[in-house]
Amino acid sequence: MAEICCEVVAGSSSEGKGPECDTGSRAARRRRMEIRRLRVVAERGAEEETSGKRRRLDGGGGEASTDEEDREVERARYGFTSVCGRRRDMEDSVSACPGFLPGHHFFGVFDGHGCSHVATSCGQRMHEIVVDEAGAAAGSAGLDEEARWRGVMERSFARMDAEAVASSRGSVAPAPTCRCEMQLPKCDHVGSTAVVAVLGPRHVVVANCGDSRAVLCRGGAAIPLSCDHKPDRPDELERIHAAGGRVIFWDGARVFGMLAMSRAIGDSYLKPYVICDPEVRVMERKDGEDEFLILASDGLWDVVSNEVACNVVRACLRSSGRRERNRSSPTSNLSPRQSSSSGDEAPNDGAPSAAAGSESDEESAAEEDKACAEAAVLLTKLALARQTSDNVSVVVVNLRRRKL
Amino acid sequence: MVEVGGGAAEAAAGRRWRLADERCDLRAAETEYVRRFHRHEPRDHQCSSAVAKHIKAPVHLVWSLVRRFDQPQLFKPFVSRCEMKGNIEIGSVREVNVKSGLPATRSTERLELLDDNEHILSVRFVGGDHRLKNYSSILTVHPEVIDGRPGTLVIESFVVDVPEGNTKDETCYFVEALLKCNLKSLAEVSERLVVKDQTEPLDR
Repeated sequence: MAEICCEVVAGSSSEGKGPECDTGSRAARRRRMEIRRLRVVAERGAEEETSGKRRRLDGGGGEASTDEEDREVERARYGFTSVCGRRRDMEDSVSACPGFLPGHHFFGVFDGHGCSHVATSCGQRMHEIVVDEAGAAAGSAGLDEEARWRGVMERSFARMDAEAVASSRGSVAPAPTCRCEMQLPKCDHVGSTAVVAVLGPRHVVVANCGDSRAVLCRGGAAIPLSCDHKPDRPDELERIHAAGGRVIFWDGARVFGMLAMSRAIGDSYLKPYVICDPEVRVMERKDGEDEFLILASDGLWDVVSNEVACNVVRACLRSSGRRERNRSSPTSNLSPRQSSSSGDEAPNDGAPSAAAGSESDEESAAEEDKACAEAAVLLTKLALARQTSDNVSVVVVNLRRRKL
Repeated sequence: MVEVGGGAAEAAAGRRWRLADERCDLRAAETEYVRRFHRHEPRDHQCSSAVAKHIKAPVHLVWSLVRRFDQPQLFKPFVSRCEMKGNIEIGSVREVNVKSGLPATRSTERLELLDDNEHILSVRFVGGDHRLKNYSSILTVHPEVIDGRPGTLVIESFVVDVPEGNTKDETCYFVEALLKCNLKSLAEVSERLVVKDQTEPLDR
């Protein structure tokens, strides 16, 4: 049997993964800020790209800081895991970019098939494209926030798909992560799911393409924020038939008997049946009711129900909350391995410590991150124990507002 | 039914190839080749079909890829790895690893016939976690002239058990789709080699 990779690679926001957005100050929230902030970030994003520096939204620049000074910025509290499991190859990719737009945090899970390159480029590029598109959309007046985010996500997914397809053209060398033996320069037959969540001050935006899933826990209930794109989903089946395609039950419902999902990034050979259009859900956040958000690949969802997953995470976050209150040192045997492999995840050395946080605030925030990472690890272990045959990737985001 | 790729869809330059575009009527020459080289006698619970592809590359080049029974990943897009012990000879068995996302992860395949003169390759599936039981295929390549240049006609035919829960039609549709992907990829790899051959003297 294939070797089981049980080494859990976990990360949490406390370890300096990505830039933190700490531009906090106290003022009332103003609706008009939304649009202006988006515009500012697009400009700044471009700057960073050219300078090649690590993106850091610490409110250093003139216009940006005056804009942000006016509002409370919520710190992202999250943790994630991504493991190979029983599969031969690791083809999942996870991205977490707190403060990728001021006051907004980005999370994504990408489950590749055929090879890892499309999932890898989604992990590297999707948040940058969303920043770009959000900046471009900032000028579009007359649209409410929901409609604007819908457009941003739809355009971002289309661009991501075009990039994934273009980068598999002969001109570009294969991605270093490519595990194909021959590394054929062209890969029309590679794709990835994409479930993306943007956590804003008032909304949670979830865009999904494929069979990874986002689940919100609100008031104790598990609410799926995405609906898996399976070829036998009645509306998807109808769409495929209308396009002249066919779904065959061949070890589950599959397009042409081959791909077991009806939407994906990449897979250009199966277009127009397999499309990259995301379904976008914009949920208004409900303070006091919203507990957390889970994003995961089907390696989890195949063997763990939405409800069970929520119960596991809730138990984790609660026990951590108790620990925090008791101020006792955490004695968990789960100790997640900190992901510190890639170079751009260097600790925030020299970064100004959060203006808004006293030391104990920082400690408890780190504790909350740890709880999210532990919850993600626990879900992963549960999936492995239940004999999932796939890669497992889990992101847990705490949605409870911190009292200040 | 035989479907032949390489028609109008190919001409639509700039657009990505799609499986959906691989559709064309069978020409007389192809029917003749099928009659001569691709005789299958499917039993009641089996189905059989063939697909064809025109490649803008000379026969020797296309055949040099096809005959590498030990390296199907040279052109098959869904193969990630292949292991084979010994030389390429009739009776050789290869262990093929299939890429993720497909309804199989591995396949054990036996070389039934390799004729370097007539350009015939026949393979039988003898194991694996796929649903293609008693699958047997014949692939032949034939010289032809495309746009005044040496080209190749490739025909691949198969016979296979219809698995429980599926119809003959579904089984054929699925296998044809797989073969079309393989032959399209074979065409691309071959045609790229032609371009490479033509430009190489300039590099020296």
